[in-house]
Amino acid sequence: MANPSYTVASDNETTADEKVSSPFPDLAIGIDIGTSQCSVAFWNGSRVELLRNTRNQQHMRSYVTFKDEIPASGVSNQLSQEHEMLSGAAIFNMKRLIGRVDTDPIVHASKNLPFLVQTLDIGVRPFIAALVGNVWRSTTPEEALAIFLVELRAMAEIQLKRPIRNVILTVPAAFSRFQLTRIERVCAMAGLHVLRLMPEPTAVALLYAQQQQQNVHDNMGRGNEKTALIFNMGAGYCDVAVTATAGGISQIKALAGITLGGEDLLSNTLLHLLPESRNFFCSGHGIHEIHIMGILRMATQDAINRLSFQNSVQIDIDLGNGVKICKVLERKEFEWVNLKVFEKCENLIKQCLHDAKVYVEDVNDVILVGGCSYIPRIRSLVTGICKRQEVYPGINPLEAAVCGAALEGAVASGISDPFGNLDLLTIQATPLGIGIRTEGDIFVPIILKGATIPARRELTFTTVHDNQTEALILVYEGEGRKVGKTHLIGHFKLIGIPSANKGVPEINICMDIDVSNVLRVLAGIKMPDVQWPVCPLMEVRMPTVDDGHGWCEEALNRTYGSKLDLVTLQKKTHM
Amino acid sequence: MASAAASSSSSSLFSLSSSSSPAASSLSKTAPRVSFRRRPLRVSSSCVSTAERPPARAHILSTGSLYDVLGIQAGATCQEIKAAYRRLARVLHPDAAAASGDYHGTDFIRLHEAYATLSDPQKRADYDRALFTSRRRCVSPPFAVSMSDDVPTGGLTGFQSYTKRRWETDQCW
Repeated sequence: MANPSYTVASDNETTADEKVSSPFPDLAIGIDIGTSQCSVAFWNGSRVELLRNTRNQQHMRSYVTFKDEIPASGVSNQLSQEHEMLSGAAIFNMKRLIGRVDTDPIVHASKNLPFLVQTLDIGVRPFIAALVGNVWRSTTPEEALAIFLVELRAMAEIQLKRPIRNVILTVPAAFSRFQLTRIERVCAMAGLHVLRLMPEPTAVALLYAQQQQQNVHDNMGRGNEKTALIFNMGAGYCDVAVTATAGGISQIKALAGITLGGEDLLSNTLLHLLPESRNFFCSGHGIHEIHIMGILRMATQDAINRLSFQNSVQIDIDLGNGVKICKVLERKEFEWVNLKVFEKCENLIKQCLHDAKVYVEDVNDVILVGGCSYIPRIRSLVTGICKRQEVYPGINPLEAAVCGAALEGAVASGISDPFGNLDLLTIQATPLGIGIRTEGDIFVPIILKGATIPARRELTFTTVHDNQTEALILVYEGEGRKVGKTHLIGHFKLIGIPSANKGVPEINICMDIDVSNVLRVLAGIKMPDVQWPVCPLMEVRMPTVDDGHGWCEEALNRTYGSKLDLVTLQKKTHM
Repeated sequence: MASAAASSSSSSLFSLSSSSSPAASSLSKTAPRVSFRRRPLRVSSSCVSTAERPPARAHILSTGSLYDVLGIQAGATCQEIKAAYRRLARVLHPDAAAASGDYHGTDFIRLHEAYATLSDPQKRADYDRALFTSRRRCVSPPFAVSMSDDVPTGGLTGFQSYTKRRWETDQCW
C-alpha cells in the first residue's frame, strides 16, 4: 500500500512514474462515506464503475484501527472488523460522531460502543480513544475519517493510475453547516479537494434523472416530468427528498433529514435483549466489557439482518461469567421495540411531501435506498404512505448514492458523453432555513427552508434602542419561531450605525448561498433619504463559530443580552 | 406577496448599480478574486444548442415582466412555464453557465424567482393583477424592480462578484 501517513497530505508523490495518459486526468470521483460502509465510484467513459479494494470488496467497512503505531482502515485491513472490534482498537461510527459536542444525545448513545467515548457534558468535543496494547490512544472522528480517506485515495490512485484530487462526497441531509465544514476539513487532511458535498438523496435523484433521460431520450425537457420520492436510510442517518425530473434535470423540491438509522435500531434491540447494557460501561472500559459489548453488537446486528428475510431468529450469546442470552427474537418484537424509530421515519416522509407541496398520488416513483431499505417494516411504511405496492426497481439500494456522486463528478469535471448520458443538472435546495436572531429571541429566516440553490435574499431590519450605534448579527440555521430550536452558525458585529431614534436606520442583511453551497452574510447600514450605505458593507463567510457548541451563544447572551438587538423593519411599499 | 416585494426592493443596498450612485458602487466594489478552479462545472454543450444561448442571456437581462424572463407569452400554460424554466436552467444555472462567465448565478436566481411566482397559481394571479395595474399606470411592475434596466449587466457590485469555492484559502479552519 502507498504511504500510510495521514497528516496533511500535500501533493501526489505516489504515481509520478506510473502516470499514464488517462482519458480524464482531472475526473472527480464520487465517494459515499457511510456510517457503516463506504464505496468509491468513477465515470469510466461510458458508465459508472465501482472500485474494489484488494479483497475484492466494493463496500468497505468504515472503520479505523489503531495498532502497532500505524493506523489502518477498513479499506486495506486484512483482518475483519469483527475481530478488531473485540479488542477495542477499532474506531467506527465516525460519521455519527463528527462535529458533535458531548451534550449531544447521539454522543451519549455512542457511549456503549466498544471503544472509548467519554463526555464531560459541558458542550465541548467528546474524548474518543482506541485501546492500543493497554493504552487508550486518543483520536477524533475527523482524524479517523481522514485516515480512512487517505487509504481510500491511495487505493483509487493505484487502480486508476493517476493522482486523485477532486472528489464529490455524499453527506446526510441532516448535517448542519458546521458538520459540513468538518467534512471539508477531513478531506483537506486527506489531500482531497471537495467539488461538492451532495446530500445523499440528491445524488440518488441525479442517478434517477439519468435513468429517466435514457428511457425517454427523444422528448427532452417537455411534458414528461416525473416526480420521485427518495427515502434513504443507512446506519447513521435517514433522509428524504422529493425530486421533479425531466430532460436530465433533477430539481429538488424538498429535502429533509434526521439523525436516525440502523445504529438506533441496533441499540434499541440490544437494550431489549440485555437491559443492563445501558449502563454497561459505567464501571469502566475494561477489555472484558469491550469484548462483551463487541460480541453483543455483532450478534444483534446479525439477528437484525436475518430478520429482514425470516420471521424469527434464535439468538444464543455466551457473554462469559455465566451470563447467557438465549432467546427467540420475533420480527414483530423487533418492530415493536423500534416503534419510535419507524414513527419518526413516517413523519419525516410526510413532512417532506408536505414541504414539496406534492400529493402522494402525483409521485411517479418511490425509491428506497440505504442499508435499512431491506428491513420489511421500512419498506411497508414507505409503500404505505405512498399508497403503492412496489418501489422503483431500477436502483441498487447500496450503490445509488455513490453512483450519483460519480455522475456529478463527471459532470463537474466537464466531461461530455456522446450518448448524452452526462447531460445532467441538479438544482439543489436548502434543507434548513437560515436567518438571524431579532429582539425577543425571535428567529427571522432570511433564506427559507427549501430555497433553490443558488439563493440570495435580503431583509431590512432596524434598531430597537434610541441612539443604538452597534448591532450584533447572530446567524442561526434551523426551523422554528424562536432561536432556541435552531443553532448558531456564526456572528459578527455591525458598528458605525449613525445615532438616531430607534426604527430609523435601515440595516440590510443579505444572505447568499452560491452554487457550491457556501453561505455568505452581508450587512449594510443605510439611513433614510441617503442613497448610499453609511459605511463599508460587512461580508462574512459562515460558519464563523468554530466548535458549534453552546458556549459561544451563552457568552454572547451574557455579555450583550438584548442591547444590540434588531427588529424587522416593516417596509413602506412604494406602489 | 409582501415578501416578494421586500426581496426585490429597489432601495436594496446590494443591488446598487453604478448608474444610481457612483459613490456607493466604488464603496462596495471588491478586488478581483483569484479562482483556483480551472474548470467550472458545466453541462456539456451537446444538449444546449449554441444558437439558444445568446438570446437567452439577452432577454433575461434586458426585460421587465416575469413572462419575459421566462421568454413566454402571458397566457402560457403550466406545462409551458415548466418547459421554459428547464430550458433556461440548462443555460443559466451556474453549473452550466460558468463556462460563459456567470459564476454567481444572478441570472438563475432571477429565472427561479420568475418560475416560483408563475408556477404557483395564487402568486401568478396576484402578479398578473399587479402587472396589469402597473402597466396601466405606465410604471414598471412592482415585482420586477430588481429586474429592471438599472440592473448592471456586468461588473456587478458587492457580493455578486463571487467565483467558485476557493480551495486552500477558503477552508474554514
